[in-house]
Amino acid sequence: MNTSTLDRHSRLEALGAHLPETVMTNRELTEGMSAVRDADLRRITGIAERRVCDPDPAAAENSFSMALAAARDCLTASRYEAADLDVVISASITRFTDGGRFTFEPSFAAVLARELGARRAVHFDVSNACAGMMTGVHLLDRMIRSGAVRNGLVVSGEQATAVAQTAAREITDSYDPQFASLSVGDSAAAVVLDASTDEADRIHYIELMTCSAYAHLCMGMPSERGQGIALYTDNKKMHDRDRLKLWPRFHRDLLAKQGREFTDEAFDYVIQHQVGTRFIDYVNQTAEAEFEAPMPTSLATVEKYGNTATTSHFLTLREHLRAGTARAGSRFLMVPAASGVVTGALSATITNMGV
Amino acid sequence: MGMVIAAARTTTHHGTGPASAVELASRAARACLARAQVSPSSVGVLINVGVYRESNTFEPALAALVQKEVGVNLDYTADPAPASGFSFDLMNGACGVLNAVQLAQSLLDTAGAERVLITAADVHPGGDARRDPDYPYADLGGALLLQRSAAPGAGFGPVSSYAGDGPSDTEGYLDTAATGGDGRSRITVRRTEGHGARRAALAAACTAGYAREHGIDLDRTLVVGPGAGERARDEGEPHTAAPILGYLRAVAAPRPRGRDRLLLVAAGAGPSAACVSYRPEGW
Repeated sequence: MNTSTLDRHSRLEALGAHLPETVMTNRELTEGMSAVRDADLRRITGIAERRVCDPDPAAAENSFSMALAAARDCLTASRYEAADLDVVISASITRFTDGGRFTFEPSFAAVLARELGARRAVHFDVSNACAGMMTGVHLLDRMIRSGAVRNGLVVSGEQATAVAQTAAREITDSYDPQFASLSVGDSAAAVVLDASTDEADRIHYIELMTCSAYAHLCMGMPSERGQGIALYTDNKKMHDRDRLKLWPRFHRDLLAKQGREFTDEAFDYVIQHQVGTRFIDYVNQTAEAEFEAPMPTSLATVEKYGNTATTSHFLTLREHLRAGTARAGSRFLMVPAASGVVTGALSATITNMGV
Repeated sequence: MGMVIAAARTTTHHGTGPASAVELASRAARACLARAQVSPSSVGVLINVGVYRESNTFEPALAALVQKEVGVNLDYTADPAPASGFSFDLMNGACGVLNAVQLAQSLLDTAGAERVLITAADVHPGGDARRDPDYPYADLGGALLLQRSAAPGAGFGPVSSYAGDGPSDTEGYLDTAATGGDGRSRITVRRTEGHGARRAALAAACTAGYAREHGIDLDRTLVVGPGAGERARDEGEPHTAAPILGYLRAVAAPRPRGRDRLLLVAAGAGPSAACVSYRPEGW
């Protein structure tokens, strides 16, 4: 173990996003569906509306274009130019480009780096379901702490509503494995990381794990019944109380190794994955019981943006910092919850991040 | 302290069922663990770098499915002595293994893991690459188990990445607008005329650049380039597992006189390329 690298930390230097202008309400999404009523969708998920990519093909709004827009927005808030970037990591689950092409190679990161002008950046995609951006931040944090690089960009654009369109066509009842697909929304987010020089801006730790026994509970692939891609989720098992205990147990053990407890962390805010309002409440309640401590203020955007997959934590962070409903100088806890199943914790103090 | 390859293995499809990237990757990974005589719980991070996969699955990470097959961190809360393994997919065309090697160095350096397992498996989404004449790649899997080593001078050098002038010569995608219930078995791989020569030129430029940058004498180096793992034409080309196949072939053959290190070079879609030097222990 190289002790000098353990003293090094990264920070969140700048945060950007892109949200499509088109708003889709539950009523518009469930129009023509007999199996699900819009009121039921609102009651079960807490979601009122979501953003969707411009349906006009001429607008060419898709995963890639949104990721590029978010990266540019982020660089506007950053002290770095694209040419300064050492790393570009793209984390989209839905890798759509023009005309409904779902891309496998080249990597989004390679094309984004070129479009942005990050000519010398190490570039690669990560794919880790809804924990993708968190995975990218984890890897970039390790690269910065090890001294391999000085800075980098993690970006993700999600045309997630492609699975909602398939679900709206194919769902037969509210127990359908595609029901969760109705809760997603389109968006993009991007974040720049660099070395932390003081505690006011620092990622204190980001640790992730995958409990693979449950890897099959949520599977995404093209539909067998028609055009488009689909997501099939065993919601009951995925959000079972035992699954929800994985994060607090893992986090508690992590802190215990340093002789610490959850309350010692003095978090001001927690951002859960934005699955739905009831899910967020349930995770927080489960964690309170496990940690035997109250949860900090829980931030959300799910009601108006839906579950935006990889971007959800960073979109929520940005919204609340910009609105003033989260204070700069605070300590944030972000908790991923993704197919795999992936969980973990990101602890960061954020004071001077460009947003 | 350096990072070395504790074990490496490739796997091919046999049997009558459809080829599966999860199965090929898992089989190669288990063989590596058996060879190195270490348990699945000693794997801190599993990075899967395959691009083409069964049914065009995009969620979860195939790495999670491989992790399950290999038996790493099945359920943290149910295990009496929990070891918190983590996994994810890394996709960057032909360069995935080398990008993963770079990440493994940072993960080991920051005590993020004791061992890193890299898997690289590609299959035609329909289950048999030989049945699609327009698909150039082989159904092939591979795995590398990486760990720290105190042996002086052994192990990997730094990984360098390069971007060629765009646009990409190779594009692999599913045209979802053109599918009608057959999206799980279709894939399009388009390569422009002359892509092979341009890939070779990019690889050569990277090799020369890497040697200059890191002071490596190419006369004393065995270059394992992107074409090193080529197989018979009817089986298709190795894709993401090519550096593993090339490495295994290089160390299986008698060491060429006067050459005491390898230079692994990958180049492909992006255009992206990557290089890393490697000095095997006891080679």
